[in-house]
Amino acid sequence: MSNLANGLGKKIRAALDGENAAAEDVRAGRKTFIDYVATRDVRRASGRRLSWLPGVRGLSFGFVGAAAVAAAVFVWMRLPISFQVDSDSGPVAAGNPGDLIEANAVVPTAVRFSEGSSIVLERGGRLRVLSLESNGARVLVEKGAADVAIAHRHAPGKWRFEAGPVTVDVTGTRFRVDWNPEDRSFGIDLKEGSVIVGGDCLPTPRRVQRGDNMRISCGTAAKTKLATTDVPAPAPAGEEKPTPAHSTQALARHELRDVRSSDEGDWRALVAAGHYAEGVRAAEHVGWSRVCRTANAVELLSLADAARLSDQTPRAVEALLALRQRFPGSTSAATGAFSLGRLAFEKRGAYAEAARWFSRYLDEQPDGPLMGDAVGRLMEARHRAGDRPAARRDAERYLQRFPEGPYAGTARAILAD
Amino acid sequence: MLQPKYMVTPLTFARGDDDLIDGLRAGHPGAAAVFYDRYATSVHRTLQSVLGRDADIPDLLQDVFIRAIDRISELQHLDQVRSWLTTIAVFTARAHIRRLARRKWLFLFSPDQTRQRHLEPPSSDARRALRETYRTLDTLPANERIAFVLRYIDGLTLPEAAAAASTSLATLKRRLSRAEKKFIARVREQPLLEQWLQEGTRWTLERQG
Repeated sequence: MSNLANGLGKKIRAALDGENAAAEDVRAGRKTFIDYVATRDVRRASGRRLSWLPGVRGLSFGFVGAAAVAAAVFVWMRLPISFQVDSDSGPVAAGNPGDLIEANAVVPTAVRFSEGSSIVLERGGRLRVLSLESNGARVLVEKGAADVAIAHRHAPGKWRFEAGPVTVDVTGTRFRVDWNPEDRSFGIDLKEGSVIVGGDCLPTPRRVQRGDNMRISCGTAAKTKLATTDVPAPAPAGEEKPTPAHSTQALARHELRDVRSSDEGDWRALVAAGHYAEGVRAAEHVGWSRVCRTANAVELLSLADAARLSDQTPRAVEALLALRQRFPGSTSAATGAFSLGRLAFEKRGAYAEAARWFSRYLDEQPDGPLMGDAVGRLMEARHRAGDRPAARRDAERYLQRFPEGPYAGTARAILAD
Repeated sequence: MLQPKYMVTPLTFARGDDDLIDGLRAGHPGAAAVFYDRYATSVHRTLQSVLGRDADIPDLLQDVFIRAIDRISELQHLDQVRSWLTTIAVFTARAHIRRLARRKWLFLFSPDQTRQRHLEPPSSDARRALRETYRTLDTLPANERIAFVLRYIDGLTLPEAAAAASTSLATLKRRLSRAEKKFIARVREQPLLEQWLQEGTRWTLERQG
């Protein structure tokens, strides 16, 4: 058996390895996978209830009197629902009405309500839960798109979404809503159930049903572009009087202004929210040198990331050099060396300089978490810089340590060259 | 002096192995990148061993990692990752083989099938022999083919191959024995392949004779 494995199997394996398809295939799949991870909360949240709800359902009633239980349930049902905010930039946090909820440019933010409803705010979006009731909430979508899943309950819920001058009244449904405050366009896409869309943009409220989508432009003149069933909606029984559209608009404008003025000087908030270019501008407004002198090591790494991602390479380099100067010997400083190598390699094609930075990272963190990547990149940088003997040594070193690593194909190609 | 209001997280995942699983569970894109970079070549190797040269491998590679990330809660220790990913890769490859078999029945002479055969014109004896090897493996039942490939081409030990194929050791051995007999019998019918294999494995064919 082992002879067969060593003979036939090795022969086929060697022929497969000779195809050299791995590196290309691996690179092709990388971005799709990372994008999937960044957005998977959208899919998870739309079908998931809060994890602590089963605990509530699982309460043992065995030794509790029926009347006391009924009273407790009655009181519980009258209490306003609560919500939690689940984002990448921090732990799951309890939400308060009026809080600004933002999704950064990398990962969506999920808002989960205690009765099972959820909203997933897509990247770059902004919303506030304005008020909470026992069977619903009032939500202001300030910017961007949100996937909404309202839990079906025995009693009709009372959910209202506001986006600019448009209101969406909901009972039990799943839909996606988006609002662009710049061109004042509103859109809704119904996946389940039905909603009533009203507000200043529409002459009369309209019912939007499952499978329909509606786009409204609320520019200077109220223009609508509808792809919906054109059925005027009856006013729901017991519905509260809709908030006047102008007051909603005023609220939205006021709150947006508040957000911008409060965040203008705080580059950290903008970077944490994924507004990288704005974060860099805010740091420049404060004074780039001053920020580089006062920020801590992790913040400097983040600021450099923000500058790198908004194509401001010189700013990124400046922040990283400040990091290395102010925090020598720290892990962050070593990571900074790695990032400097990456910038030199990817943004400027300065391969010899990149090699020096990767080499420095390896000197400072010989067993650091970026070691494999650093050896691989060092090998590639030296090869491109024309230092073939050193590149071959790196290739051997890489294959010895990571025979199946992401740079193994490149290493073999360098050795075979 | 600026007062930080937000926790700022660098996008580069620069933490150790112990934190990688937590980072993946938290959906950290940097952790996902590290995870993929570290294991994609190994997963690719398994898929390629089972399927040979297949145009769908890049898609299947993504499928494996997406399945893995969706089931990341099952994973307790980083040292289990490689075998765990191999199991998912084998499962994915098996589903692909069965899908192809169904498609073959439905579209026996479709242009799609014909085109796939001619995608890569053979440029060397090794490549031609490789293609014939996988044509031969195509004739085996999926489970026998997987047992054969994991043991002989991927070089896994019997317990490793059984774990990767999600089966018992006894079942794997039975599949392996059947696969080996069928494979060798079919190789004998193909002079080119027989000659290529005999160059280094002459005893294999003699042994069967």
